[in-house]
Amino acid sequence: MNCPNCGTTNLDNASICVNCGRPLSSAGGYTPPPPPAPAPSAAYTPPPTPTGVVPVQIPNYLWQSIVVTLCCCLPLGIVGIIFAAQVNDKIRQGDIAGAMEASKNAKKWTLIGFIVGIVAQVIIWALYSAAILSAIHSGQFNR
Amino acid sequence: MWILYTFPPGRGSFYPRCVFHATTGLLCPGCGTTHALHELLHGQFGAAFKSNPFFFAVMLAGVYAAPSLLRGEQPPLFMKTWFAWTCFAVTMAWWIGRNIF
Repeated sequence: MNCPNCGTTNLDNASICVNCGRPLSSAGGYTPPPPPAPAPSAAYTPPPTPTGVVPVQIPNYLWQSIVVTLCCCLPLGIVGIIFAAQVNDKIRQGDIAGAMEASKNAKKWTLIGFIVGIVAQVIIWALYSAAILSAIHSGQFNR
Repeated sequence: MWILYTFPPGRGSFYPRCVFHATTGLLCPGCGTTHALHELLHGQFGAAFKSNPFFFAVMLAGVYAAPSLLRGEQPPLFMKTWFAWTCFAVTMAWWIGRNIF
């Protein structure tokens, strides 16, 4: 079937688009079979999400990472780009859990890059202001 | 916009500063974006491109991506593996290259 988002041809039983990761459902109301249930383990597993919930697209935060990189928030935005690429890689391989994990990391690093960038910006702005103020004070601007 | 048009960025201006440039003296991939914007608003495309060609590439991608993003969708190209890795490679190459040459 073709992806409604990007038009890529996917296998009929594909649950998400191999190209863009958008969830697929055919017009006939056919829902893809759920992935095989994981083996029960002794560890606590959270209750399954209610059925019928439409899976969301996995965001890769690529453009956010690029904006953070461009707006000079240190090399942290580049870490976000790497994780964004991994999201795409894993969606293509059908590794949804891995893609979700990479997506979380991409979000985390983009956010860290953004916050650190803002904080560093404020600090450096304060330092420059102090320098300029003291220069004015000491009469360096009086010609 | 008006501020960007009226006041040229440069030493001693009030614009946000590149932390990476201030601490290491090296240029980051985004260094020159404010200059490029200022020059663009004055119609000096050549000078703007010289200030930061990488910014032009990002703007092109932004023009492509805007309709999808406004619809709340992810631009299909951005979800391609090769595109994301190309973004990474171009950013790194540009960052390292501009500090060497």
